Amino acid sequence: MNTKAFIAWVVKITFWVLIAAFFWWTISNNLFSQLLENPDQFLGLLGRHLQIVLISSSMALATAIPAGILLTRPKFRKYEWIVVNTANLGQTIPSLAILALAMGFFGIGIQAAIFALYVYSLLPILQNTIAGLKSVDPAAKDAATGMGMTPAQILFKIELPMAASSMIAGIRTAIVLNIGTTALAYLIGGGGLGVWIFTGIQLFDNTYLISGAVPVTLLAITADQFFRFLQLFLVPKGIRKAQKAAAAAA
Amino acid sequence: MIEFTNVSKTYPGGVKAIDDVSLTIEHGEFVVLLGPSGCGKTTLLRMVNQLEDITEGSIAVEGKNIHDLNKIDMRREIGYVIQSNGLFPNMTIEENVMVVPNLLGWSKEKRAERFDYLMDLIGMPPENYRGSFPHELSGGQQQRIGVARALAADPPVMLMDEPFGALDPIIRSRIQEEFMDIQKKLKKTILFVSHDIDEAIKLADKIVLLKDGEIQQFDRPAELLNRPVNDFVSEFVGEDSVLKSLNLYQVKDLQATLDLPAVEGSPDGKVFHPHDSLRHVLAHLLHPSRQYVYVEGEDGTTNGPVSVEHIEAFVREITA
Ligand SMILES: Nc1ncnc2c1ncn2[C@@H]1O[C@H](COP(=O)(O)OP(=O)(O)OP(=O)(O)O)[C@@H](O)[C@H]1O
Ligand SMILES: [Mg+2]
Repeated sequence: MNTKAFIAWVVKITFWVLIAAFFWWTISNNLFSQLLENPDQFLGLLGRHLQIVLISSSMALATAIPAGILLTRPKFRKYEWIVVNTANLGQTIPSLAILALAMGFFGIGIQAAIFALYVYSLLPILQNTIAGLKSVDPAAKDAATGMGMTPAQILFKIELPMAASSMIAGIRTAIVLNIGTTALAYLIGGGGLGVWIFTGIQLFDNTYLISGAVPVTLLAITADQFFRFLQLFLVPKGIRKAQKAAAAAA
Repeated sequence: MIEFTNVSKTYPGGVKAIDDVSLTIEHGEFVVLLGPSGCGKTTLLRMVNQLEDITEGSIAVEGKNIHDLNKIDMRREIGYVIQSNGLFPNMTIEENVMVVPNLLGWSKEKRAERFDYLMDLIGMPPENYRGSFPHELSGGQQQRIGVARALAADPPVMLMDEPFGALDPIIRSRIQEEFMDIQKKLKKTILFVSHDIDEAIKLADKIVLLKDGEIQQFDRPAELLNRPVNDFVSEFVGEDSVLKSLNLYQVKDLQATLDLPAVEGSPDGKVFHPHDSLRHVLAHLLHPSRQYVYVEGEDGTTNGPVSVEHIEAFVREITA
């Protein structure tokens, strides 16, 4: 075993030990009591949390992917920098400020939360869609055109499969961030698991805090793993093998 | 057949890349576009499959003005090979080779059969490569696949832009020879870009020498080498043009200009085959210890002798 692998192994073990210690601490102190005693309320908050995440990220997907595709077409390439810089701006503004701004428009409630999280999720998806499509070998596109593929065939058979890896990475980042940030929705009356987290902070009550924060964390980890798994299906085998070979050569 | 009629091309920036080119490439002819970097070879080639617009003039492929054809359909009937192979890394070798047959809606059986045929043609066992991916192949193998892919739907016309340019010299010359064998069998109409005069001489039936978008000379390789029409051409073909051209002539061409008697007994020099190149014969004769060589005649005779003076006389004739 080389040093690198050894260090990785130590880090992994330490991580799992800490996790186990954490759960032992929470369970022995009965910190999940809120969750266990009020399952209906928990399910309500979880449902609302998921609702915000799903709606805002679906909207982000439905906007950012087509926008990324459009902005890499020859006709619209000249607008790329404007759009990306605008989206960048959206990302630089702190999430709380976006929430506050959204509240200014939509008032208190779930709509403001969904809108703010939608805006917040756009950039990683847009950026990675554009980066992925731009990384496609121009020679491959030229060959495809020269052989008589239509622009749509080139997009779906060549460009998107080759960009899939980068795109899914962007989507994963966006959704994992989104799940965590949705905890802030409580602040503008959006509900979700943030309700327990913030109640716990305000009351110095760890049972609220843990019953809210741990499910949010697990949700984020699950989403992260789900998208890693999805890559195995959506990224073509040839690309995965080539990436692995390139990584091994480096 | 490809016909260029007074074709000009000016790029949006104002660069006139092609200037009034007229040119006919006959059916089954292998024509190489040759010239220095930036002279417009790629531009001229890419106008044929409409990857570049024509500013003035017209191009006809197989007798039809390309302007009247559907771009997508006509491209599927023209093979296209580029220097950086342009294989699709997300597709297997079989999928790569079968792109155009797929677009044309061929049946699965017909595609599989065609794939096997093409792989045999380029000398790569089909069963070993069917499921491989481009990155698993060497540069030379990738370029062979590029050629197979262009041949997939059996197009009558092939466009090739420095297809072997990125390969190292040994692999390149091997692929050139393989490709000449393929061309002998298939007799495609080929327009081939190169900036390497040796490659052009080796492959071409005819060479188009371009400079600043204008044709300087359109001729058989031996003519280009031995009868350059202007200073640019003679400079381009180089000082060793005569020597190069002797590669293109065989012993039998020399025999045809001489009336060599049959020799009795054993000859006092090496005996050459009628298909040996004259350059080979000359190189042999240049050694001070050798004065004569002989050539195999018809019905087993040995004819000769041939000396350096015979070759000099032959050169005088071909350069006259
Ligand atoms: N897309 C383009 N826009 C503007 N000018 C171009 C474009 N493509 C080529 N040119 C110009 O047209 C001229 C001919 O270019 P072309 O690529 O046809 O040359 P080439 O003979 O293929 O050169 P090389 O041997 O370097 O490949 C050059 O002056 C080049 O700068
Ligand atoms: Mg070129």
